[in-house]
Amino acid sequence: MASKKIGAVLVVGGGVAGIQASLDLADSGFKVYLIDQGPSIGGVMAQLDKTFPTNDCSMCILSPKLVATGRHPNITILTNTEITGLNGEAGNFEVKLRKKSRYIIEDKCNGCGLCAQKCPIEAVDTFNEGLDNRSAIYVEYPQAVPLKFMIDREKCIGCGTCQEICKANAIEYDQKDSEVALKVGSIILAPGFEPFDARLKSEYGYGRFPNVMTSIEFERILSASGPYGGLVLRLSDGEIPKKIAFIQCVGSRDFQLGNNYCSAACCMYGMKEAVIAKEHTPTKLDAKIFYMDMRSYGKEFDAYYERAQGEWGIQFVRSRVAGVTEDPKTNNLFVHYVEDETPKTEEFDMVVLSIGMQPPKNIETLAKNLGIKLNNYKFCETATFSPMETSKPGIFVCGAFSAPKDIPESVAQASGAAAKAMSVIASERGTQVTAKEYPPERDVSREEPRIGVFVCHCGINIGGVVKVPEVVEYAKTLPNVVYADANVYTCSQDTQKLIREKIQQHKLNRVVVASCTPRTHEPLFKETVQEAGLNPYLFEMTNIRDQCSWVHMHEPEKATEKAKDLVRSIVAKAKLLKPLKKPLINVTPVGLVIGGGVSGMTAALELAKQGFEVHLVEKEKELGGHLRTIRYLLEKDDDPKEELNALIKAVTENDKIHVYLGAEVVDVYGFVGNFKSKIRQQNGRETEIEHGIVIVATGAVEYKPTEYLYGKDPRIVTQHDLEEQIAEGAFKAKNVLMIQCVGARTNERPNCARICCGQAIKNALKIKEISPETEVYILYKDMRAYGFKEDYYREAATQGVMFVNYEDERKPQLANDNGGLKMTFWEPVIKEEIEIEPDLVVLSAATIPNPDNKRVAEMLKVPLTKDGFFLEAHMKLRPVDFATDGVFLCGMAHWPKYIDESIAQACAAAARATTILSKPTLEMEGIVANVNEDLCSGCRICEYLCPYNAIEMKEKDGKPIAHVIEALCKGCGACGTACPTKAIIMGHFTTEEILAQVKAALIEVKT
Amino acid sequence: MNAKTEFEPKIIGFLCNWCSYAGADLAGVSRIQYPSNIRIIRVMCSGRIDPTFILEALKDGADGVLVAGCHLPSDCHYISGNFKTLRRVTLLKKVLQDFGIEPKRVRLEWISASEGDKFAAVVRDMVEEIKKLGPSPLKNMEVKA
Amino acid sequence: MGEFEPKIIGFLCNWCSYAGADLAGVSRIQYPPNIRIVRVMCSGRIDPIIPLEVFMRGADGILVLGCHPGDCHYVEGNLYEERKIKMLKMLIALTGLEPERLKLEWVSASEGQRFAQVVTEFTEQIKKLGRSPLSGEKPNQKIFENLQAAKNAASDFRLRVLVGRERELTEKGNVYEEKVSQEEFDSLLGEVVEAEFIRHKIHLLTKTKPLSVKALAEAVEMKPGAVLRQIVEMRRRNMIALDHVEGTTPFYKALEVG
Repeated sequence: MASKKIGAVLVVGGGVAGIQASLDLADSGFKVYLIDQGPSIGGVMAQLDKTFPTNDCSMCILSPKLVATGRHPNITILTNTEITGLNGEAGNFEVKLRKKSRYIIEDKCNGCGLCAQKCPIEAVDTFNEGLDNRSAIYVEYPQAVPLKFMIDREKCIGCGTCQEICKANAIEYDQKDSEVALKVGSIILAPGFEPFDARLKSEYGYGRFPNVMTSIEFERILSASGPYGGLVLRLSDGEIPKKIAFIQCVGSRDFQLGNNYCSAACCMYGMKEAVIAKEHTPTKLDAKIFYMDMRSYGKEFDAYYERAQGEWGIQFVRSRVAGVTEDPKTNNLFVHYVEDETPKTEEFDMVVLSIGMQPPKNIETLAKNLGIKLNNYKFCETATFSPMETSKPGIFVCGAFSAPKDIPESVAQASGAAAKAMSVIASERGTQVTAKEYPPERDVSREEPRIGVFVCHCGINIGGVVKVPEVVEYAKTLPNVVYADANVYTCSQDTQKLIREKIQQHKLNRVVVASCTPRTHEPLFKETVQEAGLNPYLFEMTNIRDQCSWVHMHEPEKATEKAKDLVRSIVAKAKLLKPLKKPLINVTPVGLVIGGGVSGMTAALELAKQGFEVHLVEKEKELGGHLRTIRYLLEKDDDPKEELNALIKAVTENDKIHVYLGAEVVDVYGFVGNFKSKIRQQNGRETEIEHGIVIVATGAVEYKPTEYLYGKDPRIVTQHDLEEQIAEGAFKAKNVLMIQCVGARTNERPNCARICCGQAIKNALKIKEISPETEVYILYKDMRAYGFKEDYYREAATQGVMFVNYEDERKPQLANDNGGLKMTFWEPVIKEEIEIEPDLVVLSAATIPNPDNKRVAEMLKVPLTKDGFFLEAHMKLRPVDFATDGVFLCGMAHWPKYIDESIAQACAAAARATTILSKPTLEMEGIVANVNEDLCSGCRICEYLCPYNAIEMKEKDGKPIAHVIEALCKGCGACGTACPTKAIIMGHFTTEEILAQVKAALIEVKT
Repeated sequence: MNAKTEFEPKIIGFLCNWCSYAGADLAGVSRIQYPSNIRIIRVMCSGRIDPTFILEALKDGADGVLVAGCHLPSDCHYISGNFKTLRRVTLLKKVLQDFGIEPKRVRLEWISASEGDKFAAVVRDMVEEIKKLGPSPLKNMEVKA
Repeated sequence: MGEFEPKIIGFLCNWCSYAGADLAGVSRIQYPPNIRIVRVMCSGRIDPIIPLEVFMRGADGILVLGCHPGDCHYVEGNLYEERKIKMLKMLIALTGLEPERLKLEWVSASEGQRFAQVVTEFTEQIKKLGRSPLSGEKPNQKIFENLQAAKNAASDFRLRVLVGRERELTEKGNVYEEKVSQEEFDSLLGEVVEAEFIRHKIHLLTKTKPLSVKALAEAVEMKPGAVLRQIVEMRRRNMIALDHVEGTTPFYKALEVG
């Protein structure tokens, strides 16, 4: 206890999970060291083409996060780095790291890429899974962060060409590996997974047959920036395939290999790859997926499955493929499989293996260095009620390393791990970070525009094509330009100093840089002008490299003309630039949590641990929600009753948490940081509270079946009823039949309820435990025992539980035959109609949305899905945020889920909320909409269009006027564009500015 | 001199910051060559593109206007800006036709951050297309006026 | 029809070999008249693209003569030339032309006798090889195109960098102060020569009309899969682009290389 706590966190692994955890921590006032073994962050997600179930472009949604991580003042990224040792304890660790040499001075390399262009040596491109080559000096991918080149020492022959070509003098051939020691308070492990080596499944021919490939190779093939430009081609002959087979569960659910578990994401990505392949193929493409169980258990995944079959015409065959052989003449492939007990063979042009996830390479060394336990598959050991805790206090886990999982679950767990990591060192918030101070802003409102133009050579990247001196001379002739010059690298440290000097010397009040892309470099230059006392919005940039010199390399004349046009155009805009204020809003450091189940209680506790006051509102008279009905767990690693009681005790005894039982939130006003709400208790008492954020944790309810005589016969029960019976010792049945998907995957509710398969297996195993002679049948459509739950599925089958598959066309029939129950169902293996007389029928009833959701959604102005669950801001990367700032969700309000998943999301919501509550004031982006109240007609079009609820109507002189809540506005400009009276002004992208830019770009210049 | 007399169309490209502008950057990083006729104006969201911007550009002498945003349905950084753009541009093209301006001069494309190839192909195609159409009739009108 | 009289071009360095040839004359040493001498200041001046061009114009043999190692007027031009000729022979071997038609020898200013001997032997050798497939009325089109591809490959930066650095890397040591062994270097050079030749061959073939992987595979006598791999690399370097798709077959067209 004597050792002082440290307000810094080490995050191990720079995939999407590590990135999310880092951003949440850094945004909450903690210093973050993000380490990765590789030369850049991004992980596997950077390699993906599209993401399910929305088919979003992976890079489009990831790259803003990459850039944010790279530029965050509180995050230090250490690449090529591994842990070599650990000392100390939770709150105060000392971590030893080894950083492998890059042979490049990271501070000097500006990522211009000339070295790679001139490097004579080619090496296999691992980012593209070996489907093409890269140079021996390389970046993993064009959007890599950090964008620093690296020398592949294995391949490099040391010719010295890169050093000669590098104008930034960034090459350092004698750079040595370095040892680093860091002090941190807690550690998050997000090392991800290792894709299964498909060669080990030799019967599928990977590595022997050119047209058999892995799913990750196929992602690269599908990618527009991949080796084939997004066109699907056969490796053997470059032809577009007409028929592709996807084989699921390669390296997963495989007893022989010892990979018994299910990799959880492959069913969906297999389907997605099939869909995208069809979209990318100009000719007709047949795609067939060979699967064992289609495990599309996530949010709206079954809807995707439906569309895959219907709209996209993908065929599905339930069969484990026995082997693949090749016709050596055509390189076509024969897939051998058994369907309906009949061996079949089908010819395909291409076979894609949906490979599973394995624990990361060398994970045992890491585990040993850190002193954490691994499970029997060498993933990180965790428990149901502590899904982010490793066996060592102060070290937390997220992402695929804790169990195979998809992106949104990794992201949620990452935020959850961030909450856990913060709670260890909550007292040290803000101690390891320093806020940047700027000089007071110069008032330029009465000055004529005095524009300075800095034109970049970018080594020879721009200067080798565009005649930069000519552009500079031209810039000098433009109106209001009082200074123009060229720089070798405008982004270098000394040029920043030069820009500041020139601002003083020439009394510049607008600065224009003509160089590369503002997407990566604008923040740097904005900072520079701000350091010189200018408002950062008095800066503009035009891209004469990526969008000019690099794309018109053989037309130097035209490229120079274009560069001049671009400079003229941006100068015309710069002239009109106005200083913008970044609105500051105060934050009430108080949380409101709606719902007192396991999610709500966990979220409230986590917020309290961060030091914030919380109001926890529960509709029922007691806390616990759905968890109260859970008597034992499938994993048996925790006792749910004990955990529930401990949780309730912790919540009620915490003096930062105010619990309202039998209460409802009836009114919510305000916006992020500044909410005012009314809580009404059953006794009619109303309490008004002020709070900065809202977490929705309203849970879900069990479907009351109308099918299978439920409610008409006491021998027909739901899984919850059965659990109660067993727990109370009332279970006596000798012949039990369970029916899955009751009220789920139907026309009315097309999606899977996710947790019923686990429940059925859990109860079946319990029955076998207490009454081994009892016969148990489970009639299912797909057994969705994903992740490590597969183990229990296997165990149940081993113990004699009979699993019988049924299809919608042949649903089981239940009848009451003179007092006896008679169940008729089709047995697909023996191909016979079977009749049994169970003494207990258990319906796996779906988990359906809380009927209260609609009211809560309307009150908070947040959307619901078609099914009636809450709809998050983004299905992939913002799983617990709403589009409305300051409002979050977690648990079964989002979708049915298991306890560990609910806890992870609850912690995640708390971490996301902490990024707001931890700041006394929020500084918002200055690019927001403004309303000219004299022009506003009060038509409300803007209010309707704004996806962020950032526009509200206010009464003024008796008529409604639109008002922008700056705190919520994201600056997209959709409102301004739609406004019929042109009353809305979009900061930094005003109509005048855009039109001036257009006009200037189109002026004919006489040369 | 002959080269000078060949019609070189001027194209204004309104690109959203998050997907299409990034796609244009990727074309650059990959050194994919395309004609230099386009002048790119960056906006945060394609939803910012007011149909009047397009008309103004045509009036100011543009022979074609490209509007590019994130793919439908959900790549948009601002949730649904691209849907708004789709409606606006579709409507505008109808109006253009009524005015006797070839709707082909205005083009709406969804270009993602990883579609550098596509961006270049769109520009190439558009330049070809507009070369066939010839100078914008609006430009001539201005000259007469 | 008389006996085949080969046309041989001799590139002679000004300081040693040209003087050697003069000495042969002064000494009235007789040698076959087939050689046409081109004087250059240093044998190192013979850029690999020059012999390729000369072969394309129908020469039956090329002799490059320079100073003995250590005697070079320009210190080491001859030694650099030696590496270029080695690479050139690798490249020529791929074109279908006999690499023996090219020869490098050292002849000093005092070796008039040796000059005559070298010329005599080389002329004999070429007579045995026979007429160049590129000479006469109907030059072999395929070899001609291959030489063109070889010439383009030899102009490309990869080969020029490697050849230019060979001596440094194998004799003095690289930037890491390690010597690259000759075997390692030669095997790397072999790979690069082959890859560059194929790429430039594909580039030439697709210049006039778009071609499919299959058609290219036949033309360059390689497996289609290997051709695809080269096309991927060429795309990465903007040498080629997808032109169109016919049925299930993509066609590729060369891009102008800048």
